[in-house]
Amino acid sequence: MRALYLQAIDQHRHRVLSFAHYSLRVREDAEDVTQEVFIKLWQHWQKIDHEKLGAWLMRVAHNSVIDHVRKQRPQQTNLDQYAQVEDQVGEESDVTHLDQHHFKSQLQSAIKSLEDPFRSIVIMRDIQGMSYEEIQGSLELSASQVKVYLHRARRKLRENSKLRQLFEEQIADRSEVKKSIALVASNDKGNGHVQ
Amino acid sequence: MSSNGESKCYFIQLQIDGYLDGDLSEAQQGVFMSHVQDCSACASEFRYAQTIQDAVIELPQIECDDLVLEPVYELAAGGRLGKDEVHRDSLIAQIGGLLNSVPLYFRYGFSAALVAVVAVVVSFSVVTPIEGPETLVASESVEQYSREDIVQALHELNVAMDYVSQLSQRTEVMIGDRFLVTPLQDSINASFQRVRTREYDPLQNGPI
Repeated sequence: MRALYLQAIDQHRHRVLSFAHYSLRVREDAEDVTQEVFIKLWQHWQKIDHEKLGAWLMRVAHNSVIDHVRKQRPQQTNLDQYAQVEDQVGEESDVTHLDQHHFKSQLQSAIKSLEDPFRSIVIMRDIQGMSYEEIQGSLELSASQVKVYLHRARRKLRENSKLRQLFEEQIADRSEVKKSIALVASNDKGNGHVQ
Repeated sequence: MSSNGESKCYFIQLQIDGYLDGDLSEAQQGVFMSHVQDCSACASEFRYAQTIQDAVIELPQIECDDLVLEPVYELAAGGRLGKDEVHRDSLIAQIGGLLNSVPLYFRYGFSAALVAVVAVVVSFSVVTPIEGPETLVASESVEQYSREDIVQALHELNVAMDYVSQLSQRTEVMIGDRFLVTPLQDSINASFQRVRTREYDPLQNGPI
């Protein structure tokens, strides 16, 4: 049993922690949820249908996240302290990358602020790439419900005013850059420079 | 923009997710793209949706360090069972699990010791200790019974023995060449006679 248990941990640990992280955005809480999930796995090992272990783990993680969200609600100020995770992408100092960094950070906040099950479905489907069947099993929803909620969740993300503002600023910056490049190019032509 | 154009834009924007997920048919994709190329508002909305979708998909999976799961590994290494499992397993299963974790020679030694302890406990609780005559005399208070009580008791005992004797004779149950109860009955009768004449104290030598 122990070997199979450790194997199950290795197989699912990153997915469980990622789900908790994008749901809660507080490192310690995400780790607590991950520990809780795998302790429950140990406690319920003999009862579980191991054919659907992944879905079971995500269901437990989802319930655990909901419990943490309920506990957190009065102290929202502590959120987003783990927004630096996406620094894993690498370090570049150009303006475009900083904008993207800011945009992604805002995007994570927007995902976290979604109500459940919209938040869980976006994380499971779009970030973790889970199949519709896995999501159905994890959240105990029908296939049509998962699709409808996913579309609503994406629309809600697009309706986030800060995200839209950042996107429009980026578009405006790019068009300014293009205009500047075009202006420099035309000046160079007028001055007789060879491209 | 005309109302016809607005409703067209509305339906096209409803199809953005379907297009990004690849759920539209080829014909629907053609209509969608031709509209987006001609309509700046829908083109902007499409780019925005695509940007968000790409950014969400690019969010990294968070790596789970071993340190995070240290308590979990300790739990598995210690073999401690959860509450549910403890309640679910029977006592025998738990003892079996415990025995499986110890060396073979200890298992048999433990089993033998367990049986011995159970046997001793059962013998203490079930078997009544045999008291010697001294204990009998010490535990009973002689002064509690009057001579009439003793005579009455001996009489009843004699009646009972008489009944058993008759039964023995009818069924011809004998020990050796004598009926079982005859000598006992003779002895009781003699004691009974002695008590009646008050010349002999039966409590000193016993009636039987």
